[in-house]
Amino acid sequence: MQSEILLRWIVLVPLLGAVVNGLLNRRLAKRVSGFIACAAIGVSFGLSVVVFLRLTGMDAEARVVNDILGTWLQIGGFHVDIGFAMDPLSAVMALVVTGVGFLIHIYSLGYMAHDDGFQRYFAYLNLFVFAMMTLVLGENLVMLFVGWEGVGLCSYLLIGFWFNDQANASAGKKAFIVNRIGDFGFLIGLFLIGANLLPHLAPGEGVFSFAILQHHAHLLAPAATGICLLLFLGATGKSAQIPLYIWLPDAMAGPTPVSALIHAATMVTAGVYMIARLNFLFVLSPTAMAVVAAVGAVTAIFAATIALTQNDIKKVLAYSTVSQLGYMMLACGVGAFTVGIFHLMTHAFFKALLFLGSGSVIHAMSNEQDMRVMGGLRSKLPVTYATFMTATLAIAGVFPLAGFFSKDEILWKAWESGNTVLWAIGFLAAGLTAFYMMRLVVLTFFGENRASSEVRSHIHESPATMTGPLVILAVLSVVGGWIGWPHFMGGGAWFENWLAPVFAVGEHGVAAHGAVAHHAADSTMEWTLAVVSVLWAVLGLILGWFVYYRRAAIADSFRKAGGGFVYRVLLNKYYVDEAYDAAFIRPGYRFSRQVLWKSVDAGLIDGLLVNGSALVVYLLGSVLRLFQNGMIRFYAWTFTIGVAVFVLYLSFSS
Amino acid sequence: MEITLTHYLVLAGLVFLTGMVGFVVRRNALVMLMCIELMLCAVNIVFAAFSRLHGDAGGHVFVLMNFAVAASEAAIGLAILVEIYRRRRTVNVDDLKTLME
Amino acid sequence: MEGLLFWFCGSLLLLGGVMMVVQRSAVVSALWLVFAFLSAAGIFAVLGGTFLAVMQVLVYAGAIMVLFLFVIMMLQGPVMDGERRLMHPALWPLIAAPPAAVLIMLAGFLRGDRMVGFAGAPAPGFGSVVQVATLLLGRYLLAFELISIILLVALIGALAVGRGERKLPWK
Repeated sequence: MQSEILLRWIVLVPLLGAVVNGLLNRRLAKRVSGFIACAAIGVSFGLSVVVFLRLTGMDAEARVVNDILGTWLQIGGFHVDIGFAMDPLSAVMALVVTGVGFLIHIYSLGYMAHDDGFQRYFAYLNLFVFAMMTLVLGENLVMLFVGWEGVGLCSYLLIGFWFNDQANASAGKKAFIVNRIGDFGFLIGLFLIGANLLPHLAPGEGVFSFAILQHHAHLLAPAATGICLLLFLGATGKSAQIPLYIWLPDAMAGPTPVSALIHAATMVTAGVYMIARLNFLFVLSPTAMAVVAAVGAVTAIFAATIALTQNDIKKVLAYSTVSQLGYMMLACGVGAFTVGIFHLMTHAFFKALLFLGSGSVIHAMSNEQDMRVMGGLRSKLPVTYATFMTATLAIAGVFPLAGFFSKDEILWKAWESGNTVLWAIGFLAAGLTAFYMMRLVVLTFFGENRASSEVRSHIHESPATMTGPLVILAVLSVVGGWIGWPHFMGGGAWFENWLAPVFAVGEHGVAAHGAVAHHAADSTMEWTLAVVSVLWAVLGLILGWFVYYRRAAIADSFRKAGGGFVYRVLLNKYYVDEAYDAAFIRPGYRFSRQVLWKSVDAGLIDGLLVNGSALVVYLLGSVLRLFQNGMIRFYAWTFTIGVAVFVLYLSFSS
Repeated sequence: MEITLTHYLVLAGLVFLTGMVGFVVRRNALVMLMCIELMLCAVNIVFAAFSRLHGDAGGHVFVLMNFAVAASEAAIGLAILVEIYRRRRTVNVDDLKTLME
Repeated sequence: MEGLLFWFCGSLLLLGGVMMVVQRSAVVSALWLVFAFLSAAGIFAVLGGTFLAVMQVLVYAGAIMVLFLFVIMMLQGPVMDGERRLMHPALWPLIAAPPAAVLIMLAGFLRGDRMVGFAGAPAPGFGSVVQVATLLLGRYLLAFELISIILLVALIGALAVGRGERKLPWK
């Protein structure tokens, strides 16, 4: 079959699965429902691989497959297609989303086996993959936006999946509303692009099509800073960057596989993908790039410090995700889009693994998430422990695991951009990452088990449907980085070459703007930095091990001594939620209560509009009630009058 | 006098009016249903007449469709009537005023 | 010949309709309606629709009216209640007004210059079974299939309604 036609099925098969599962719901046996959902993603993954292989067979410059289903909007010169396109960048994303998504679907079979909402869960999950694939494979910005909103919706549905608990429902709403702020920026950015570009286009050219956008990007140069900052606002919402990151930690209220799929591996990387996709636009504005890099770096260290003190296993991982997303933004901001996407991919492997591993732990601990009552699970959950440890080493950046290659590349690119402050922040955050991950591992897997004896008696290793994906992801966390084995270590940097056509304009653009003050890009420096960062990571790991395992008292005494204040600030996440509450939510609430409710609603709307219109309806009704007398023949008679009038009108008007 | 299309149309109109008046004046729901059938019949005559005018038998097909519609309507209408009769012991529409409440 | 048949069948059709309306007994009304339908079949035949005429007799005068009669017999007795007097005489003008208006309008069409004649006799084979069947299973196949679904739905609907209070099989 033609690759073009395969492309639409990559997107539509998960939708089909969602529709079947969503409509039939409880009428499906759990086994059938799970099979349909997994098969849908499996097919989607298989098709992605097929198209990917076809792409590899093409010339480097011509690697793009288009599948235009038809015209969506045609208003004057404004033209939007419904269409999908796969180029090297979206191929990577498609493989990651469907591949990791497939593993997480399999894992969910075991994790959700006893849940009442099994079929609903899989319907949402399939719907999410559909939306994510629309986002990734969309041929134009509008399709991307549709997917963008779609994944937001699925995220909301899945965070509030156990909506019987008020806290979960609120977490879902928080995620939705915070994302809405970002989406607002995104939409305004879209409008600006349209307004600036539309007058210059020939009729029939899709203004938001990526190819057209890239071709005409120079026309947008005057407005580029504004557009990029607005789009970046959207990205901070979706990818949980400062200032809109606050929804992600709360999003952990959803089922753990959802956290792995949506809030670690795929959806939250949409912002990074969007920036990478529009690299030709972002490089037009050095200001916007600087903002992206700065926000990314600050988020990376900010979230890493919070992660140091959290006691909820999933919260630690959530802040870790925010921090890692900051790295990706940092990479994009310094013009190293390839590396940003590379880190996105490796992060998808090891962070999904970490979440799934924590899910396995939570499953074993009878839904306990507090690390203070865990401990000593190493012997009870050997597979989970081994895979979790692999992921920890990977995220810490230990050679030769996946995280090393991508994180080291990011730090190197930050160094190379000439901005040592960015590099230093990233470097510091890397050490913190190693430290808090070791803390997590020690508290969970080492020492004495601190759970109640009842919970302890239930601890068991998870079923094969759960450990299988763990093992596969562990393997990927080890070898996944090797495709980007850098030149200075004698590798081929295959990943960089693969994405080169997509970012040719972008990365060239950065150089042209002089944003890159080339250091002597000799491999000695690169070697030095790589070795230093590995040593730094190992130091962080050892320190974490030492503080929390060997000398557990150190942490306590630090807390009791002068560190108490710092500890409290970190534990309370810098009081950002409280600050937002005081700055936006409570004034908004007060405004709603005093002005909107008491004056506008009670006075104007209730008094004039509601009661007024009710009065009008009442008066009309008392007249019309005379006609509504229940006599069928009376109705028929009025009917005949109507017919007579109509016929007479027709005959006299002709 | 030669018979023209107009003759048929006027005939159909008269038949239709008969049905319409019958529907208004009769109280028996069964007869009201029959009046509807009569009105449908008038429509069928119009179809057949225009079919003849254009020399296209498509109009006949529509008459057949109307047969099916009439049959469906009669079947459901009568089923409802039987059910109403079972509950209320009457098919006199003046006694069936629950629509008012 | 056509004129003669038209006047004959047309007046019988009108007679049947009027008699149906004015008869007080539902049974007699139904029998007059059968009479009117048979006359309508004659009108179809005059118009060249031989197949239609046959179907009119079979389906309408036959099947549908038998259904009516069957129901009337089933509910025999109380169906006459309240039909002793058709309508209060004071209401007659009200009832008659709209039809009268339309009648006056119809009369206007009978002026010679506003009549539309047929262009000669119908072509041979017009309205024959073969021609109608060809159309029904060719040009109008989709409509034909859809109408069959409507019939099926009506059938099931009538069954569901007719079952009354008893438990439905799928509940």
